[in-house]
Amino acid sequence: MALIRVEHVDKNFASRHGSIAIMQDISFEVKDADFLAIVGPSGCGKSTLLRLIQGLDRPSGGQIYFRDAPVDGVCRQMAMVFQSFALYPWLTVSENVAFGLEALGWSPGRIGPQVERYISVIGLDGFQEAYPRELSGGMRQRVGLARALAVEPAVLLMDEPFSALDPLTAANLRDEVLQLWRDPALPPEAVLLISHNIEEAIELADRVIVLSRRPGHILAEVPVDLPRPRDRKSTAFYDLTDRVFSLITEGAPSAASAGANGAPALDKPL
Amino acid sequence: MVSAGGGLGGIGAYLPTAVLDTSYSFVRMLIAYALSLGFALGYGYYAATHRGGERVMIPVLDILQSVPILGFFPFAIAVLAMATPGSFVGPNFASVFLIFTSMAWNMVFGVYESLKTLPADLKEAADTFGLRGILLFRRVLFPATVNRLVYNSVLSWTAGWFFLVEAEIFTTGTSTSLSGIGSYLSYAASDGNSAEFLAGILVLVLVIAILDFAVWRPLGRWAERFRYDTTPAGEASEALPGRDASGRIRRATMFVTRGVRTGMARLSTPFVQLALIRARPGHTASARTRSLVYYLSLGAILVLLWLLLIALGVAIFDVFRGPIASTEQHDIALVPLAMGASILRVVAAYAICLAIALPLAIQVARSSLAGRVGLPVIEVVASFPATALFPVIIFGLVPFLTPEGAAILMLLTGMIWYLFFNLLSGIRAVPPDLVEAAHAYGVRGPRFLRRVLLPATFPALITGSITAFGGGWNTLIVAEYLSLGQHEQLSVLGIGQLIDIGTNLGASGYALLAVALLTLVGTVVAINELIWKPLYRRAVTQYRYD
Repeated sequence: MALIRVEHVDKNFASRHGSIAIMQDISFEVKDADFLAIVGPSGCGKSTLLRLIQGLDRPSGGQIYFRDAPVDGVCRQMAMVFQSFALYPWLTVSENVAFGLEALGWSPGRIGPQVERYISVIGLDGFQEAYPRELSGGMRQRVGLARALAVEPAVLLMDEPFSALDPLTAANLRDEVLQLWRDPALPPEAVLLISHNIEEAIELADRVIVLSRRPGHILAEVPVDLPRPRDRKSTAFYDLTDRVFSLITEGAPSAASAGANGAPALDKPL
Repeated sequence: MVSAGGGLGGIGAYLPTAVLDTSYSFVRMLIAYALSLGFALGYGYYAATHRGGERVMIPVLDILQSVPILGFFPFAIAVLAMATPGSFVGPNFASVFLIFTSMAWNMVFGVYESLKTLPADLKEAADTFGLRGILLFRRVLFPATVNRLVYNSVLSWTAGWFFLVEAEIFTTGTSTSLSGIGSYLSYAASDGNSAEFLAGILVLVLVIAILDFAVWRPLGRWAERFRYDTTPAGEASEALPGRDASGRIRRATMFVTRGVRTGMARLSTPFVQLALIRARPGHTASARTRSLVYYLSLGAILVLLWLLLIALGVAIFDVFRGPIASTEQHDIALVPLAMGASILRVVAAYAICLAIALPLAIQVARSSLAGRVGLPVIEVVASFPATALFPVIIFGLVPFLTPEGAAILMLLTGMIWYLFFNLLSGIRAVPPDLVEAAHAYGVRGPRFLRRVLLPATFPALITGSITAFGGGWNTLIVAEYLSLGQHEQLSVLGIGQLIDIGTNLGASGYALLAVALLTLVGTVVAINELIWKPLYRRAVTQYRYD
């Protein structure tokens, strides 16, 4: 059973000059234990798509399902990690991590141990009473990650989570996200990552969905069969990166690639 | 001071009375502040979270705040008149209402702006976890307003003291006089009693200083935590919890500097804040593109409301004092001329303010010594209500300055700080790389001023000018006419003078009061709409560097 099914989703935004199509006919699935990445040029609606999946906004057409139930309103089985971290500066690290649990109505007695557990899983021990302002960017994103994991979501939605970090910090955090995903004892079951960094997507994901320029539609779904840990310097990695890069820059979809399944695997030469 | 009635050694003898009178004033301030706080949270929250409410509430507030605070006097006077002479509730209610009008708007806009500018991702994060209702308010929305509320409160208190003293001086000698530090000071001055006067000033200074140290500074440090603007990377280390005393002192100074500077820069300029919100990327453009018809109809509705309010006041008056007798036809005919004289006077005071504030601000901003030593002194002076010194200006300085000079001097005290602090924050906000680039190309001296500094501070200059003029209109009413005893009084032709005369005449002056007030309010609103708003719009579109 698919965790998430996106079926023929369109999104239009109203503007002064009428309706603008942001994305058209997006269809794909997130399966159990999937690590899926979505890449595309800026403005192609990647972040909007993530918000539609979580249920923060409604599609203009099509339907999104979570475990076969239509997503209607915010789906609490998913948790989002933000590019800008979106931490509350007036809450301590502990309080930020407890944020989602409070909203779920957990009792303080249950919240305490849960918060401690994820603070320690994410490596924030000793910073419980610190405020986000006092932390480095990498540490802030760890808090964002702990906050999302504390509610034990089935799917972790990540919106450019490493873009605001320096390269070294980002690399460390990427490794840890991979470990979390592979650890069966810990959430999440699946990860959906939005990125404009092609290498990052190929390094992490099982499959990479490539979106076109606005209005965004799926150009291709590229399976990544490279063994982990993936070596960015290997020829295979480089070739794959180059393929995705060409797809985005050359952009125009062929009639064949918008096939009946919406997301044909990319196994033909470009 | 004309004569030293009690001798300077006798200050101690007057302290108990001074403390008692100041505590009356303080209680008024406290009540007005509590009301303002509740009003700000309710009104600001509703306007920020309800589209329909926002569309009406914000323009209404915009007009309300640009009306000189003393424009609310007809209402207050009607209440004063209702109260039988010697009544406790009536005059106190009126003065609390006046102080409220000087405190509330700026706090409302603080709440509104905090909620409107709350970063989208913070709102979204709350949505992803399904926060709503009380929890959303407690965890997200209320904390988001705390920082601005605290800063704006500091300024509301500064403005409040100014108008409290002004209102108390204003009622001195009438049947509805208020016990308080303002009336205490004007009686002391009219008796020519230096010791009594100095005792009053001493107590007032002490109260303001204690409030600053014991309340606002700790609150300000606490409120730092609630800032949600993104911190530049370099600042993160600076904000680390410093347990050493020097760090604490530095943060305390930072708070005062930031508090007074940003606060003064923002006080009573909500429409400037609005323009800034609207200029922010991502803000819906709908607010910017309202039609002329919309503004005209809104204006018409407000004028109608205003007339209704005056009619109501007159009606209340009739019930208590009998119908209006012969009005002072002569004085009513003087209104246009008086308005013109007042405008000239405010413009003259503004020119002097600018001539002082601009070089001073440049000096303080660009020299670290002047900044470190001069700024704290200036901030202390600025937080003291200049109105408390008005009796001295009249008794001591009129012989030297002529009545006209004294009036302009008083106006100046009500205007200069807005200009100074806005210019200062404007100059300090000029990106250092623009300054460095100019120096790299050898652009210095007057050319630097003309090419770099003045254009870069233009928006701040406009903001400062708008607020300074606002301060000027509010000071007119005591600057043009002040009568403290049989002999000593100041009276120069102006709209403030006519308003005073109208008020003092009681029932027979009511028509004069109404015409004079309407003229003043109409003029101020017209100047704001026709001169300042277009200038400001130009300033933010043309001279922004972000």
